[in-house]
Amino acid sequence: CSPYQKALNGDDIASKFTVGEDLYNKGKYLKANRLFEQIMPQYRGKPQAEKLSFLYADSYYKAKDYYLAGYQFDRFSTTYPKSVKAEEAEFLSAKSSYMLSPMYSKEQHATKDAIEKLQVFINTYPNSPYLEEANQLVKELDGKLEKKAFDIAYQYYKTVEYTRDYNAAIKSFDNFIFEFPGSKLREQALFYRLDSAYNLAINSVERKKEERLIKAKSYYLSFVNKYANSEYIDKTKDMLENLEEELKKYSTKS
Amino acid sequence: LSTFAQETTFTKGNKYTIAEITVNGNTSFSEQTIVTYSGLRKGSEVQIPGEEISSAIKKLWNSNLFNDIDIYLLKVEGSNAFLEIRLSDLPELNAVKITGVKKGKKETIIKENKLDKGVKVTENLITTTKNYLQNKYKKDGFTNAKVNINTIEAVDSLPRSKVNMVLAIDKGKKVKVKDIVFTGNSVLTDSKLSGAMKNTKKRNFLRIYKRSKYIEEDYKTDLTSIIDTYKENGYRDARILSDSLIINNDNTITLNINLEEGEKYSFGDISFIGNTVYTDQQLKRVLRITKGETYNGVLLQERIADNTRPDAEDLTNLYQNNGYLFSTINPVEVNAEGNVIDMEIRISEGKPTYFNNVTVQGNEVTNDKIIYRELRTRPGQLYSKANVVRTIRELSQLGFFDAEQITTDFQNPNPNEGTIDLQYGVIETGSSQIELQGGYGSGSFIGTLGLSFNNFSIKNILNRKAYKPVPRGDGQKLALRLQASAFYQTYSFSFTEPWLGGKKPVQFSTSISHSKQFLYDYTTGKADKDKRFNITGISVGLAKRLSVPDDYFTLSQALSFQHYDLKNYNTGLFTFGDGYSNNLAYTIGLSRNNTYNDPVYPTGGSNFNVSAKLSIPYSLFNNVDYAALSEERDEQEEIYYDADGVYTDIQSTNAYTRMGEIDQERYKWLEFYKIKFKADWYTRIVDKLVLRPSLEFGFLGSYNNDRGVIPFERFFLGGDGLASYSLDGRETIALRGYENQSLQPVDEDGNVTSDGGSIYNKFSLELRYPITLKPAAKIYMLGFLEGGVSYNNFKDYNPFDLKRSAGLGLRLFMPAFGLLGIDFGYGFDSVPGQGTAVSGWQTHFIIGQQF
Repeated sequence: CSPYQKALNGDDIASKFTVGEDLYNKGKYLKANRLFEQIMPQYRGKPQAEKLSFLYADSYYKAKDYYLAGYQFDRFSTTYPKSVKAEEAEFLSAKSSYMLSPMYSKEQHATKDAIEKLQVFINTYPNSPYLEEANQLVKELDGKLEKKAFDIAYQYYKTVEYTRDYNAAIKSFDNFIFEFPGSKLREQALFYRLDSAYNLAINSVERKKEERLIKAKSYYLSFVNKYANSEYIDKTKDMLENLEEELKKYSTKS
Repeated sequence: LSTFAQETTFTKGNKYTIAEITVNGNTSFSEQTIVTYSGLRKGSEVQIPGEEISSAIKKLWNSNLFNDIDIYLLKVEGSNAFLEIRLSDLPELNAVKITGVKKGKKETIIKENKLDKGVKVTENLITTTKNYLQNKYKKDGFTNAKVNINTIEAVDSLPRSKVNMVLAIDKGKKVKVKDIVFTGNSVLTDSKLSGAMKNTKKRNFLRIYKRSKYIEEDYKTDLTSIIDTYKENGYRDARILSDSLIINNDNTITLNINLEEGEKYSFGDISFIGNTVYTDQQLKRVLRITKGETYNGVLLQERIADNTRPDAEDLTNLYQNNGYLFSTINPVEVNAEGNVIDMEIRISEGKPTYFNNVTVQGNEVTNDKIIYRELRTRPGQLYSKANVVRTIRELSQLGFFDAEQITTDFQNPNPNEGTIDLQYGVIETGSSQIELQGGYGSGSFIGTLGLSFNNFSIKNILNRKAYKPVPRGDGQKLALRLQASAFYQTYSFSFTEPWLGGKKPVQFSTSISHSKQFLYDYTTGKADKDKRFNITGISVGLAKRLSVPDDYFTLSQALSFQHYDLKNYNTGLFTFGDGYSNNLAYTIGLSRNNTYNDPVYPTGGSNFNVSAKLSIPYSLFNNVDYAALSEERDEQEEIYYDADGVYTDIQSTNAYTRMGEIDQERYKWLEFYKIKFKADWYTRIVDKLVLRPSLEFGFLGSYNNDRGVIPFERFFLGGDGLASYSLDGRETIALRGYENQSLQPVDEDGNVTSDGGSIYNKFSLELRYPITLKPAAKIYMLGFLEGGVSYNNFKDYNPFDLKRSAGLGLRLFMPAFGLLGIDFGYGFDSVPGQGTAVSGWQTHFIIGQQF
């Protein structure tokens, strides 16, 4: 009979604690967690409860059950807001939600949660040793949302031959540019928006053509202002030529 | 006059250091525990009054363990404060005693109100329990029900405070409505009015589906229905003057309703104001109300905005479907002289609205691109309600989400800019199906393992992390099927990608299959492994959604190759036992499917399918004289059958061998064309009752009459229609009420053939009604009438010489198992080759297939 089995089946809460802590230190987080779980109610209100609660939450975290880890860390920091471990607990709670964030192309509810939690942490502990990591995590999560928005817009761009809907690409790249001003993907977004608007204008019905040509040209200008050395620059120059060619017809008419 | 900001005294508290905290009151918890719990600490600095104290009280309350929590400042010495926490433990529930109801009901009451032993008894618990029970009895017609709850302190050896609860219920007698008396009505009869009261009914022992009972809330709704009935008949001023309730001695009540009908009105001029997008004429065509008609307020409301049907043809939808989300339409009576009401329909059109952000929430498994490419509402597009409805329909048809739970959420409406955000909410369902069967059939054990993953992700097949339990989320379909018994084995694999390349909905599919069949050895009763028939096949197909004539159309093309390999397989089915045959064919099909919403239980729309499968007309250019071969074969056949007995056995055997050689030549490369047509319609009759007529037709022909119709690719009519193990291209056509594949055509000599028909047709009429359409399991009942017939050549074909049947069935759809079902069919006609007795009752089990 191992000490773990003995403690698990026994009634002695003190030995459960010590055996549990021992297992925790040895890296047997699942077993430690089971023991801690048993004695949590009995230690409620006792001085040792503070340490126990932290170990309990952390054993979930180390065992990669981030959902429960986040919950237990939250409980810890609300119950012991003045604890020396409170800062670490809040960070780990936020990091647990970071761990729960799925890949960018799926529902990003958890990602937004994690960003919010990390932001709260950063605001509460501006001098924390975890600050650098927290910022790093936020950046990574923001990157996910950015990639998601870009990919959705890019799909509208890519499927335009089927949908005949240039506006979907234009509008969603518009939204992307507005929402993620510092994005690495901004150059591409500006280019794809221009390309969509260009195609819409060139293939337009006569009634709306002039308006669309002008709009496409304005997208050209905002691209060139920012990325004069872009790899797309030759393509955009060609577009501009054609746009101006077409626009001439309207200026001579009037 | 001037105003001052109010000063809050709360922030003005003084700072103290806590010198001591004491605990007082009836509690079993230790002082230390309570102090720790409160978050207050000796020696720490607090503001009084201040946030710390109130948060301490809050924390203690949140523990749900205490009652009457107060914190007192006992005394102050300099900057030292002495605090006292006073509280008492909440009593725990010890036992519940319930009087006045049957024993069986007691447990439900305890369960419904969570009156378990050990719960803390709060005032809230007592009040909610009481209200819950009283309302429950009232809803059942026990208007006079009384509920009393008492708590008595329980004496216990433990120091914890405990109470016993006594729940005294007096249901009283059920109150029935003896009579409903109307006064003041002359146009509408009493019975018409009581008919309008849908909930409150007069006592009548013949009416069992709706018992007479009085529920105040429902009665109030009924009064509104009475007025609505008048409104529908032109009496727009009708009103209830008074209503009273008389309690009779025999536990019944009488309702007196006194009303005033007013006068009858009719519609006068109807004019539109504020319309710029549509002309008066266009609006009138939708309104469909003309001058002189009896005034009907309900109808008018319906034509403006029918709240019961989201897709109704009304004025609101006319605007809503064309981008005018912020439009409002108000009918106003401008003149009511001489009982003729002139209406003015005032329209505020607002700006046309465009979608700004369109998002999807809830796709925990499925990747964005799979969903977004199906959306018909895209950013920058004009708002259209019809497109929203169609998107919901198409998302549900993907089969990855629960069809009944797709939601739409309009966010950030901006009437000034004319923009709106739309969020679709989806809930993922399991879309993988596992089929694992073992059974005893045709004298041996049969095992089947079928796996079908409907939302597969092939690019993650090597990514270990993506296995949860299989890589999912890219909308691909992967199916594997293994089936084996002593007599046959089949292996098949298929893969489908609905958007090849991601640019257009071009569906790519491929499948590989292999099957082995062994002959039965009569001496051992086992399979004879030396006599076998192997079929290996591969196919590749592309299907493309079209936009012309409308975008419900799909054009599909496929190339398939099958190799048949016979070894010692002398069954009489073929004249050659050793040999081979190749089937290279091109299939082209056109289909149109606009059924909605739920693919398991469509309630509307139709599904058409026409296809042609063609082989290369080899006989046109391969320089084989099939006419000569056909002639020679006929001669040899005469020798083989030897009707006059003039040939020797050896001659006869040689003739048969020669026939085999000729047939081998004929079937080396199969030459044929096959045309199929299938259509079904879904119509909702009432509620969720759906009628589904369908018809289908198939024809297998040859380019060269001398080569003849091939013995493969034929139609087998009868039974459950489940594809059998044989992969010779045969099509099994369901016809319930008859045994599987029993309806074989009869040849010119009156003999029943066994290799299926080359032409068939089928008519079917099915009536369906759902028992439940919950996502965990969808169940519906059905009744059917059907008939079908198959022939061997077009000459004899008579599409109305049907084998008829009728019956009942049940279908159960569970996401993990697919569709399961059972049908009981009665065949009214006899089966060819089995005498004149009718087919009679047949039971069919259906797995994973829809009729």
